[in-house]
Amino acid sequence: DTWRYAHEEYKGDVQDVYALKFKEYIEDNSEHTLQVYRFGELGESDDIMEQTQAGILQFVNQSPGFTGSLIPEAQIFFIPYLLPTDMETVVKFFRESKAINEDFTELYADKGLELLKMYPEGEMVVTADEPVTNPQDFKGKKIRVMTNPLLSSTYEAFGATPTPLPWGEVYGALQTNMIQGQENPIFWIESGGLYEVSPNLIFTGHGWFTTASMANKDFFDDLSADDKQMVRDASEYAFNETMKHIDGLADRALDKIVKSSDKVTVTRLTDRQIAKFKARAPKVEKTFYEMAGESGKELLQQFKADLDAVAK
Amino acid sequence: MATTLMLIMIVLLLLGFPMMIPLITAALTGFYMMFGGIGQMDTFIQQVLGGIRPASLIAVPMFILAADIMTRGQSANRLIDMVMTFIGHIRGGLAISTATSCTLFGAVSGSTQATVVAVGSALRPKLLKAGYSDSFSLALIINASDIAFLIPPSIGMIIYGVISETSIAELFIAGIGPGLLILFLFSVYCLIYATVHNVPTEEKASWSERFKATRMAVWPLMFPVIIVGGIYGGVFSPTEAAAVCVLYAVILEFGVFRSLSSKDIYTIAKSTGLITAVVFILVGVGNGFSWIISFAQIPQTILDAVGINDMGPVGVLVAISVAFFVACMFVDPIVVILVLTPIFAPAIEATGLDPVHVGIIITLQVAIGSATPPFGCDIFTAIAIFKKPYWEVVRGTGPFIAILLFSAGLLVAFPEIALFLRDVAFSD
Amino acid sequence: MTDSENLTYHSELPGLLGKFDNLISKVEAFMLAAGVLLMALNTCVNVIARFGFGQGLFFAGEINRILIILITFAGIGYAARQGRHIRMSAIYDSLPHQARKWAMILIALITSCIMFLLAWLSFEYVSDVFKRGRILPALGFPIWWIYIWVPIGFAITGIQYFLTVIKNLTSKDIYLSTGVLDGYADDESEV
Ligand code: NA
Ligand code: NA
Repeated sequence: DTWRYAHEEYKGDVQDVYALKFKEYIEDNSEHTLQVYRFGELGESDDIMEQTQAGILQFVNQSPGFTGSLIPEAQIFFIPYLLPTDMETVVKFFRESKAINEDFTELYADKGLELLKMYPEGEMVVTADEPVTNPQDFKGKKIRVMTNPLLSSTYEAFGATPTPLPWGEVYGALQTNMIQGQENPIFWIESGGLYEVSPNLIFTGHGWFTTASMANKDFFDDLSADDKQMVRDASEYAFNETMKHIDGLADRALDKIVKSSDKVTVTRLTDRQIAKFKARAPKVEKTFYEMAGESGKELLQQFKADLDAVAK
Repeated sequence: MATTLMLIMIVLLLLGFPMMIPLITAALTGFYMMFGGIGQMDTFIQQVLGGIRPASLIAVPMFILAADIMTRGQSANRLIDMVMTFIGHIRGGLAISTATSCTLFGAVSGSTQATVVAVGSALRPKLLKAGYSDSFSLALIINASDIAFLIPPSIGMIIYGVISETSIAELFIAGIGPGLLILFLFSVYCLIYATVHNVPTEEKASWSERFKATRMAVWPLMFPVIIVGGIYGGVFSPTEAAAVCVLYAVILEFGVFRSLSSKDIYTIAKSTGLITAVVFILVGVGNGFSWIISFAQIPQTILDAVGINDMGPVGVLVAISVAFFVACMFVDPIVVILVLTPIFAPAIEATGLDPVHVGIIITLQVAIGSATPPFGCDIFTAIAIFKKPYWEVVRGTGPFIAILLFSAGLLVAFPEIALFLRDVAFSD
Repeated sequence: MTDSENLTYHSELPGLLGKFDNLISKVEAFMLAAGVLLMALNTCVNVIARFGFGQGLFFAGEINRILIILITFAGIGYAARQGRHIRMSAIYDSLPHQARKWAMILIALITSCIMFLLAWLSFEYVSDVFKRGRILPALGFPIWWIYIWVPIGFAITGIQYFLTVIKNLTSKDIYLSTGVLDGYADDESEV
C-alpha cells in the first residue's frame, strides 16, 4: 500500500534527500510505495506533525526547533557549543549516543511517535551586517530567530538582541537593516539568497541544525516484524546516504556564495574567540533547565556523557 | 475526483450559496473519497486555521482599518482634492491616477488585498462622482491592485525565489518592467474608456488653488512618507507598516483634525472586523480545499496526463501560465506558489528556461488569478468592503483581464520585458 | 466606505431567548472591534519597543495569531446575522419571487447543516489539540485555548442560518438573515 511521508524543506534540501533515500529503500525492498510531501504541500511544520499523530501521514520529519512546543526536552539542540564542530565526531555521536537513541525515543513515544533517526543537517552559520569576532561586536544587533525561547536565550547570552520574525520577512528585513543578522545552515543562506543582503558570514561553531525522522507509533507497532525491520533498515540507509550528502555540502555552498558576490566576507572564529562565546553557554543551560525541568537535566547529563564517550 | 469536486463547486456556486459552502462541500467530499469516511475530516479544520495563520495576513485588517479611518475622517478627501487640482482637467485623469496609486501603494504594501482596500475605499467614491460607472471603477481597483504583486517587495516572489533557488534581488528587479507595462496599458484603457463614455473633466485649477489644496494635504501626505521611510529605513516590516498607518490615522483624525470620536473608531473597528472575518473564512476554507487537492496529488496527475515533460519551452511556459492562473482563481496565491512550483521544477530545468523569467510569469499569473472569478481573493475582498453583489463586482473585469492576459502573452514571447532591467543591473 | 452605522442587530426571538441572542450579538461585536484594535496596538507597541528601545516583544506574533482567530470566528456568526457572507447571486437573482424564496430556504438550511457539521468537526479537532498538549512557544500556554472560538463560531453561524430558514418560512418576504431583507443591491445609494 501507499505510505505517506512529509518533511519541512524544499526539493533538493537535506530533509528531501533523506526522504527520497528512505523512499528508495522501502520501494526496492518491499511492496509498499512511499509518497513524499515537501514543505507547504500539506501545511506547515506543526500541521504535518499533527497529521502524523492523527495517522493521516505515516512518517514525518520535524526539527526539534518546532518539536519544542510538544517536547520541551527537544530544545537541547539549541544549547550552544554542546556538539563539536568536527563532522566525523558529530556523525559518530548521532549513531552511538544513548541520549539520542534511547532517551529521545522514549520522549517521542510518549507523544505517539516512533523516533526513527535523529540526524544533523549542517553547522549553523551567522550572517550579519559586519564581521563579528567577539560578544561585544554583537551588542545592539538584532538577530532574527525562530519563535523559540531557547534560541532567544542563546543570542541574548551572546550579547545580541534576538528578534523573532516570520521566515518570509527575513530577506526584506535584512535588506532594510530592520534586523542586522540571522542564523542558518550555509546551504540555506545560499538557496535563500540571504548573503545578497547580509554578506558577512561568521562560523561561530556554536551548533548544528538537527532534525528527526519519525513514524506514527500505532502504525509502526502494527507493522509485521519484517516490515518493522525493513523500516529501520531504510532509516539506517537514508541516514548513511544523507551523511554522505552533507559531507562537503557546506563547502560547495560556500564556494557558490563567494563566487557570486564580492561583498561576502567569511570569518571563522579562532579557538580563543570561541572561548569567549562558549563562556556564556551556561546561561542558556539554565534556561533549558527552567523549560525542560528535571528530565531535561538528566538528558543533558547523558548527552554530555555520550559526547565524552565519542570524543575518546 | 478532480472532476467531481469541480462540479460540486460550480453547481453550488451558481445556485447562490454563501461562497464558503462550495469550497467546504468540495473539500469534505474530497476527504470522504480519500479516506472513505468522516474520521479524518478534522484535518480540514486544522487547515482552515492554518490558512489564516500567516503573519503577513494581519496587514489586511490593518489596512482596512486605516483606510476606513482616513476615508471617514478628512485625510483621504484632502489627499484626493489635492491630486484632483493637478489632474482633474485631464481626460481619464482620475482613473489613471487610481491605477497609479494602486501601483505605488502596492509597491510598499506588497499585498493585493490591502491595496484593494486602501486605495479602493478612498478613490471609488470619487470615481463614481466623476462619472465612471461602478463596475468600471471596481474592476479598475481590483485589477490595478494586481500590480502590487509584481512591484517589489513581493511576498510571492520571495517564496518563489526560495523554493526555486532563484535570486530574490533579481526577481525584484525583473518585476518592475512588466509592472510598469501593465500600468501603461491600463492607463491607455482608462483614457479610451473615458473618451468613449465621455466622462466629463473638471476645469483646470489655478496654481493658487493647487497650492492651497497641497497645504491642506500636508498632514495626510505624511502617510506615504511614513510608510516608505519606515520600511526602507528599517523601522518596520511591510506588514507592520499597516498597523503604523492605523496609529497615524488615529492620531490625525482623532487628535489633529478632530473629525472622529472614540465611538466612531469603535464602530469602524467593528466593521473592519466583520469584513476581515468574511474574507478570512474564505481564505481559510480555500486552504482546506487545497490541502486535499495536494494530498491526493491531483496537480501531478493532471500534469503527467498532459505530458508536461515532453513539451518545449513555450509549451511549458504556457502550461505554467494556465496552471497558476486557474489555481489562483480558487486558492490563495501563496499556497499556489508553494504547491505548484516544485511540480513544474523538473520541466523548467529540462527546457533550460531562465528561472527569473519563469518567476515573473508565475507572479503575474497568480496576480491575475487573484482578480479572476469565481474565487479570486481580491474579488471577495472587494465584495466584502464595498458591499456590492458579486455580479456587479466582476462585470467590468473583462477588459482588464484581457489586458493582463495580453501582457502575460507578451512576457512569454518577449522575456526581455522582464529581463532587460535585470541584465542591466546584474551585468557583471 | 462600509455602512457600519447599520451594524445593529435586534433579535427576532421571543422573550428570554431574544435577550440572550441580543447579548451574544453584542459580545461578538465587541470581540470584533476589540480584536482589531488590539491587533493594531500590539503591532505598534512591538515596532516602538524594537526600534525605540532596541528589543521587540517576543510574543507579539503569537498575540496577533490569537487575535486573528478570534476576529474570524467571532465575525462569521456576526456576518451571518448581517447577511454579509459573500455569495454569487446572479442566477438566483433572476428567479421569480416564489422560486427565490424556496431557494433561499434550501440554501440557508443546507448552509446551517454544514456549519453544524464544522462545529462538530472543530470540536473534535480542539479536543485532539487539547490531548496532544502542544503549547505556544513564546507565551507558553496550551494552544487549544486559542481555538475555543472555532466550534462556537461555527455553531452560532449554524444557528443564524437555521433561524433564517424559520424566518423565511413564517413571513412573506425573503430574508438573507433574520434581520436583513434580500436585495441588498438596491439599498446601495449611500457609500
Ligand atoms: Na509589492
Ligand atoms: Na485566489
